[in-house]
Amino acid sequence: MTAKFDRRSVLKLGGGMLAASALLPHQAFAQQTAINYWHTFTSQSEAAGLQAVLDLFKAAHPDVAVTPENIPNPEFMAKITAAVVGGSRPNVTMVASERFEDLLAMGALSDMTDRIAGWERRADFDDKRFASITKDGKTYGVPGFTFVDWGYYRKDWFDEAGLAAPTTYDEFRDAAIKLTDASKGRFGFGLRGGPGGQNFVVNVIEAFGSPVKKEDGSIGLDRDIVIKALDWYAGLLVKDKAVPPSAANDGFQQVISGFQTGQTAMIWHHTGSYQDIASKLKPGVEFGTFAMPAGPATRVARLAYAYNCITNDENADAAWEWIKFWGEPDAAVAFLEKTGYMPASTVAAQDERIVGNPMYKAAADTLGFGIPQPSFPGAAGWAQNTVLPALQQILIGQATPDQAADQIIEGLAAAIA
Amino acid sequence: MAQTRTGSNLIWNIVSYAVLIVLALLSIGPLLWMLLTSFKVDDDIVTRTMVYFPTRFTLENYIKLWNQSGYPVLVINSLVTTTLTVAICLFTGTIASYAFSRFNFPGRTPLMLGYLVVRMFPAVLMIIPLFIVMRNLGLFDTSLGLAVAYTSFLLPLFVWMLKGFFDAAPKELESAARIDGSTRIGAMFRIVIPIARNGLVATCVFVAIAAWNEYLFALMLTSSTGSRTWPVGLQLMVGEFQLPWGMLAAGGIISILPVIVLFALVQRVMVAGITAGAVKG
Amino acid sequence: MSRGRAMAALPPPRSTWDAINPLRMLGELSETRYWMYLLLLPSALLITAIVLFPTVYGFQLSFTEMRLNRPAGNGAFVGLKHYQRMLADPIFWLSLRNTAVWVTFSIVIEFVVGLVAALALNRNLPGGKILAVLILVPYFLPNVVAGNMWALMLDSRVGVVNDILVNIGLLDSYKAWFADPNTAMATAIFVEAWHSFPFFTLLIMAGLKGIPADLYKAADIDGAGAFAQLRLITLPMLRTIIAAAVILRVIGLVNSPDLLLILTQGGPGRSTQVLSLYAFQNAYSDFNFGYAGALSVVMFVLLMLFAWAYIRLSKVNQD
Repeated sequence: MTAKFDRRSVLKLGGGMLAASALLPHQAFAQQTAINYWHTFTSQSEAAGLQAVLDLFKAAHPDVAVTPENIPNPEFMAKITAAVVGGSRPNVTMVASERFEDLLAMGALSDMTDRIAGWERRADFDDKRFASITKDGKTYGVPGFTFVDWGYYRKDWFDEAGLAAPTTYDEFRDAAIKLTDASKGRFGFGLRGGPGGQNFVVNVIEAFGSPVKKEDGSIGLDRDIVIKALDWYAGLLVKDKAVPPSAANDGFQQVISGFQTGQTAMIWHHTGSYQDIASKLKPGVEFGTFAMPAGPATRVARLAYAYNCITNDENADAAWEWIKFWGEPDAAVAFLEKTGYMPASTVAAQDERIVGNPMYKAAADTLGFGIPQPSFPGAAGWAQNTVLPALQQILIGQATPDQAADQIIEGLAAAIA
Repeated sequence: MAQTRTGSNLIWNIVSYAVLIVLALLSIGPLLWMLLTSFKVDDDIVTRTMVYFPTRFTLENYIKLWNQSGYPVLVINSLVTTTLTVAICLFTGTIASYAFSRFNFPGRTPLMLGYLVVRMFPAVLMIIPLFIVMRNLGLFDTSLGLAVAYTSFLLPLFVWMLKGFFDAAPKELESAARIDGSTRIGAMFRIVIPIARNGLVATCVFVAIAAWNEYLFALMLTSSTGSRTWPVGLQLMVGEFQLPWGMLAAGGIISILPVIVLFALVQRVMVAGITAGAVKG
Repeated sequence: MSRGRAMAALPPPRSTWDAINPLRMLGELSETRYWMYLLLLPSALLITAIVLFPTVYGFQLSFTEMRLNRPAGNGAFVGLKHYQRMLADPIFWLSLRNTAVWVTFSIVIEFVVGLVAALALNRNLPGGKILAVLILVPYFLPNVVAGNMWALMLDSRVGVVNDILVNIGLLDSYKAWFADPNTAMATAIFVEAWHSFPFFTLLIMAGLKGIPADLYKAADIDGAGAFAQLRLITLPMLRTIIAAAVILRVIGLVNSPDLLLILTQGGPGRSTQVLSLYAFQNAYSDFNFGYAGALSVVMFVLLMLFAWAYIRLSKVNQD
């Protein structure tokens, strides 16, 4: 720390004085390359995590100056679209898996295949980690960190009822029904039927045995299976009454606060919310974590990545330095410590701080069998604007599973047409 | 007869009080809740049983907000942008509104509609072309650029509202001044604008509030290192995987403080205008 | 140059300053018959420079194939394709209906409450100034804050509104206002009206101060009651102000999805889906800018028709 202070401050001071006398920008003297980094980190913990990585990077690469630019997640696509169409793209952009196909089709991403192939830390990463950022043999980014789908359950309630964490959909449903107690205002499952709940619907449909798309790219949805899946999932509310009646408007905040305040016994989310839950309930005592249960046909648990991608050909070398840096175990673990987000690098994921924490076991297991989300241009829009409203209509009694299934299939046909 | 008059006056006064008190409670209640929330720790906000008053009074939300959001810079940016917006509206809008109010000329109604048209095309679709325009003008990520963008959308509001107030100002005084040899421009600045000054102030307040609170354009046309404004900073606190209710409430309280101060000042000016009797004509 | 001319023109003698005095020149200019156009010039130029291209671009988009995530075929002229699709799109018709409900109820409530508040405040009662500030304050809140705070207060688990309603016996248990299609729109309209009625209050208040008191005195002598005075004096005198406020507010309600984006995102099951939200979703999550452009044009045309009809009916431009 002190060493860094000395060297850098001397450099800076010298440069500053020279710049002041010659009226030259400071960067010119220090030969710094400035790049900007667009990301969607917002909360305090995320901001702290990013700052930690930035600090480490600054010490390791004084020649590259990274200017982070935070953009609210809901408007992220609008802002990046404007930048791409308007021709002023950032150097590096954080790209969530589900946004990859749309951004690629828009022409926002640069091919990074060769750089990645020649990277000394490439071996730290499982090939699977690159699956959601690769198309037609070309890779467009490096995973910065991972969100692993999993569930949280009230360990104290489960113990009391003599139940174990569910491993199949049947066990899951039974537990949800058993733990529902209207007199106590308790429900078995906090179903996310509001904003952001669309992906779980897709998961259930696939777990019942109907992939969204077939290998050849045609529609894989089977009407009968979709109906069965919707009937089961929405049935947790409309038939089993094991879900709070507010489900149709429950987004992230409602689902989490329902669990935190003891309204629900189980919720589905991913590793990103661990810190938040742990701030209210005692890990291992009041709550536990479980891997997504297996459906009748297959087990669907998603691994979603935040990739860092080069989005501007200018200063691409400096951009690459910054992107690579997220793969350094030190950076990944520093980030994990602030945020609780899992590293994407296998080496970093074996760090004692992760392996030694039993609460993370479900996530570590899921890294083995987890799969990426279905990915094609228009997938995110279809899930959000067709699948979610269809589910909501069943939840509020405005549609039968049959009608909702038709909407979902027709919507998909329109989205990929 | 005088008695019934006083009697009905009294009844109307009572009715007025009742209405005002109900509305004031309705308006201020949520804000008080926001104020209370801003002093609460998280455990008092997300609870099983409602906690009305903070069990532990804390300023933590404000401190975190201040440290995280770069509040001072954002507020200065917002102030600059708002001031520029009001200034441009005041200069270009007042005279336009006067023209619409005082002259009957060919094309007046279509032109007035034309000013409205600007607001009718949904902003969401104008963002990308506007972004390109701003970049070509070299105004991207500047307070002036943002103010110009706001002005183009707020001018219609300004002109239309102000026209109403100009219309309400009696024309006789102006005619009298003209007979005394004043030029049109002289009559405009010396007679009409002073009479309509309450309306002018009210209209400016609207423009200022709209500019102060605007979010979408501010996000799209600025960057964090440039002239990003306060509402964008506020939105950024609402994390994807966190529940910063307390901070959000604190942000809300801080964001309306400058506006309330401004409004309190303006109220004084408006009241002074009335007591001076200038408006009565 | 002007100096020489001023010297040459002997009678009447003009000082050098007088000849180049900008105020005098403006004064003379103001007597020409083009004066009103000159007054309009700065604002018209500014608006045109900034808004013309984006608007034309939007119109053009609506006749173009423009799906950003399907670059092949983008930019092709497709005529009325998007409009034809719209006619057969049930979500469009649903959104149109919801938009009509959303705008009509919001505007009526905001106007009536705003007018009543302004009339009451205009009586200059003791304490009125403080009440005025309290009543106007919701309008100062940014949408982000107003929306999120109401979402918290109406929450079905931790919402204080539910707690109060249960405690005073109006509700049996906490209600999820935005999860029930029967209450979602009404609740959203309530939040919107709460946020925006002061817009009318402030404008009408400022307008009321401009009505000469003599008019009311004369009406009193004629024996006109309070409601007659309202109908015969107040409302006609405020005609243009009210018309402007209504039109501007309607435009805002139709075009801005902000509040609904925070509260419901169109749910549950599209029961609060409105046109602005639908256009936004088409543009930024489906990336179908062509269709979003067509939706925008339809909204634009509807607003145009409304404004034109309203101006005609309310006789704003009659002297």
